[in-house]
Amino acid sequence: MPIAAALQRGTRRVLARADAWMNRLYGWRYNPLYHSGALVVALMLVVLITGVYLLFFYRIGAPFASVARITDQVWFGRWIRGLHRYASDAAVVAVLVHALRLFAQGRSWGPRTLAWVSGLTLLFVVLLCGWTGYVMVWDIQGQVLAQEGARLLDVLPILSEPISRAFVGEHPIPGAFFFLNLFAHIALPIGMGLLVWLHVSRVARPGLLPPRGLMWAVIGLLLGISVFWPVGMAPPADLFALPGRAPFDWFYSFWVPLARPFSSGVVWGAVVVIAGVTLLAPLWTRPAPERRPLPSAVDERLCTGCEQCYEDCPYEAIGMVERADRRPEQSDLVARVDPARCVSCGICAGSCAPMGVGPPRRTGRDQLSAVKAFVAARWPGPGDIVIIACDRGAGGIAARAWFHGAPIYAVACAGSLHTSVIEFVLRAGAGGVLVIACPARDCWNREGGKWLEQRMYHDREAELRDRVDRRRVRLAFAGEAETACVLRELADFRVALAALEAAARESDFDLSRECEKIMGEVSR
Amino acid sequence: MSAVLRRALGAGIAVAALFGLGALSRAPYTADGARHAVLRLTWRARGEQVEECRRLTPEELERLPVHMRQEERCEGRVPPYRLRVSLDGVRAVDELVRAAGARHDRPLYVFRELTLEPGSHVLVVRFARDGETPTGARRPSEEDREEATTPARLVLDTVVTLAARRVLLVTYDEEGRRLVVRYAPTR
Repeated sequence: MPIAAALQRGTRRVLARADAWMNRLYGWRYNPLYHSGALVVALMLVVLITGVYLLFFYRIGAPFASVARITDQVWFGRWIRGLHRYASDAAVVAVLVHALRLFAQGRSWGPRTLAWVSGLTLLFVVLLCGWTGYVMVWDIQGQVLAQEGARLLDVLPILSEPISRAFVGEHPIPGAFFFLNLFAHIALPIGMGLLVWLHVSRVARPGLLPPRGLMWAVIGLLLGISVFWPVGMAPPADLFALPGRAPFDWFYSFWVPLARPFSSGVVWGAVVVIAGVTLLAPLWTRPAPERRPLPSAVDERLCTGCEQCYEDCPYEAIGMVERADRRPEQSDLVARVDPARCVSCGICAGSCAPMGVGPPRRTGRDQLSAVKAFVAARWPGPGDIVIIACDRGAGGIAARAWFHGAPIYAVACAGSLHTSVIEFVLRAGAGGVLVIACPARDCWNREGGKWLEQRMYHDREAELRDRVDRRRVRLAFAGEAETACVLRELADFRVALAALEAAARESDFDLSRECEKIMGEVSR
Repeated sequence: MSAVLRRALGAGIAVAALFGLGALSRAPYTADGARHAVLRLTWRARGEQVEECRRLTPEELERLPVHMRQEERCEGRVPPYRLRVSLDGVRAVDELVRAAGARHDRPLYVFRELTLEPGSHVLVVRFARDGETPTGARRPSEEDREEATTPARLVLDTVVTLAARRVLLVTYDEEGRRLVVRYAPTR
C-alpha cells in the first residue's frame, strides 16, 4: 500500500536521525531508542517492585487518605510513589517508541504478526493498569477517570446496572469498588507477564533487559526526579462538585479531553477504528505478494547436520530433523525451515559453511555468484576498499555505486553475508574490505551484526578463513543516518591500509574453481 | 564534538527528557471549568411488574420437550415511567424511562444532569407510571408485589439553592418512598 510505505519511510527517516543523535551522545551500545522494548520490561519491573511496597500502606476503605499518608508519612513513601509513577510514565514512552520502530522498519507482518498484535495488547493492558492505578488514588483525576470510564462502559450491554450510578453521590462509593479496582491493578500485571511471554515466543534469545549501564542510568534518573520533583497530592474526589483544575498524568489520561465532548457511541466508534487500523497493520504494511521475500530453504544434499543455522536463527524457524533417505556419508540430522516462522532474514545463509541454506537467490552460493559479477564489473584494485553495506543501515549508502571513491557491494543484511564473499573480494585483488553492519540492537533481523562479528573474529561457523589477512578486513557499525560514521571509518581504514604492502591479486585466481573448492572443502 | 561536550549534551538531554516526563505527568487540566451548578437526578426504581399470560395450544406443547410442557406461558415486564422536570415553571425534561433489560423487566434507572445558574430555583419533579396496565395483563402475587416498592406516582415540589460549581442530587428514598434532595455531605 503506497500510503503505508510512505508513512513507514517518513517515520524511519525521523527515527534514523534520532538514532544518529543518540548514538553520538550515548554510543550505540547505550542508545535508549535501540533498547526501547527491553526498557519497557525493566521499567515494569520497577513499577512492580515499588507497587508491592505501596500496597502495604494502601487502604481500600480510605483510598485518598491512605495515599496521602504514603506521600507524607510513610518511610520513603513519597519517593517510592514518585518512582512508581514516573517509571510507569516512562514505560508508555518506551512502548510507543518500540512500536513505532517496528512499524517503520516493516517488522509487523508475516511471522511477526503475533508479536505485533500481542505488543499492542500489552500497550492496552498497560494503559488499563494505569487507569486503575489513578482511580486508586481517588483524587480529582481518579474521579474523572472513573466517571468517564463508567460512562463509556455503560453503553455496552454487559452489566445489569449502570456503573455510572456508583459515582453520582447517591451512596458512598462502596468499598467493593475499590477492592475490585485494586484487584484489577494487581491482576493485570500478571496478565502482562503472560503477554510478554507470548510477545517474545517467536524469537530466539529475547533480550528482555537492556544493558546494565543503561538500565541503572534510567532507574537512577527516575529516582532522581522522584526525589527532586516528588509527586504531590491533587484535591480529593468530590462527587458533589464539578471537577475543576487539577494535575493530570497525560501518559494515561490523554484520552479524557478527547472523549469528554463526545457521546459514548462516538468514542467507542473511534476506539474500534483506531484499534482496527493498528491491529490490522500486518495486513496493510506487508508488501505485495510478488515483492514478499521468500522463506529460506535447505539443500539437503549439502546439509552436514552441523546445527549452526539452527543455533543462529534469530526466530527459531529452523529445526533439526531425522534425514528421510540417508546415504552412508550423510549426517543423521538435516536442517528444516518452518516457512511460517521464517522472516527471510538470510542469517542462516551466512552461518552455513557448505552454503546449503538460505532464502532463494541469497544463499552462500548465490552470494558468490553475485560478488563474481560485482568484481567483474568494478575490478577493484590494490588501492581500493570495497564497502560491503547493509541495505537497512550503513549510513544509507547501500543504494549508491560508490562512496568517496570506494565501490559499494550491498547486502540485504550484514548478518546474512557469507564470509567467503569477503575472502573472494580480497583474493580478487581489492586492497581492503570494510563491512558496515547495523548497530547490534538496531539489526532488523535481531542478531545479524552479532553473528557476523563472531564469524569474522571469533571463529564462529562459517568463519572467515585464517588465510584471510585480517589487517585488510574491518567491521564497523552505522545506522541509516550515520553517513559521517561510514566516512570516518573509511578514512581511518585507508590510513591503516596505506601502511601495508600493496595487496596482490592471485595470479591463478578462478572464481568458479574457488567456489567449487570452498564447497568441496566443507562437504568433506 | 569533544567528549566532554558530548557528555554534557547527553546529560542535558537526559535531564530535559526527565523534565518533560515530569511535566507531562502532572500537567494541569480543567475537566469542567464552567461556573454553573448541576442538578443531578438519579435513582433506581423497582416498577411494579405486570405479566401477560396465554395458554399454549396443544401443537405448541407437542413441540416442546416433555419436561418443559407448561400449559401457560407468562412474560413479565415493568411498565415505563414518565419523568417530567420543571424549573422555575419551565419544562426542562419530559421523557419516558423504560425499564432496563432486553425484555424491560429489570429496574428503571434514572440519570439526568441539568445545568443551572447558581441561586434558588423552584423545582418540580414528577415521576409517574406511563399509561394503563394492558388488557389481559395480571399483577404478580402479593409476595412479588412487595418487592415492587416504587409508587406509581412520585412528586417533588420544592425550592433548591445551588452554589456555583456544586452538584445537587435528587434521588429516591426507598424507606420514605419519596423523592428527596440531597446536598453534599459535610466533611
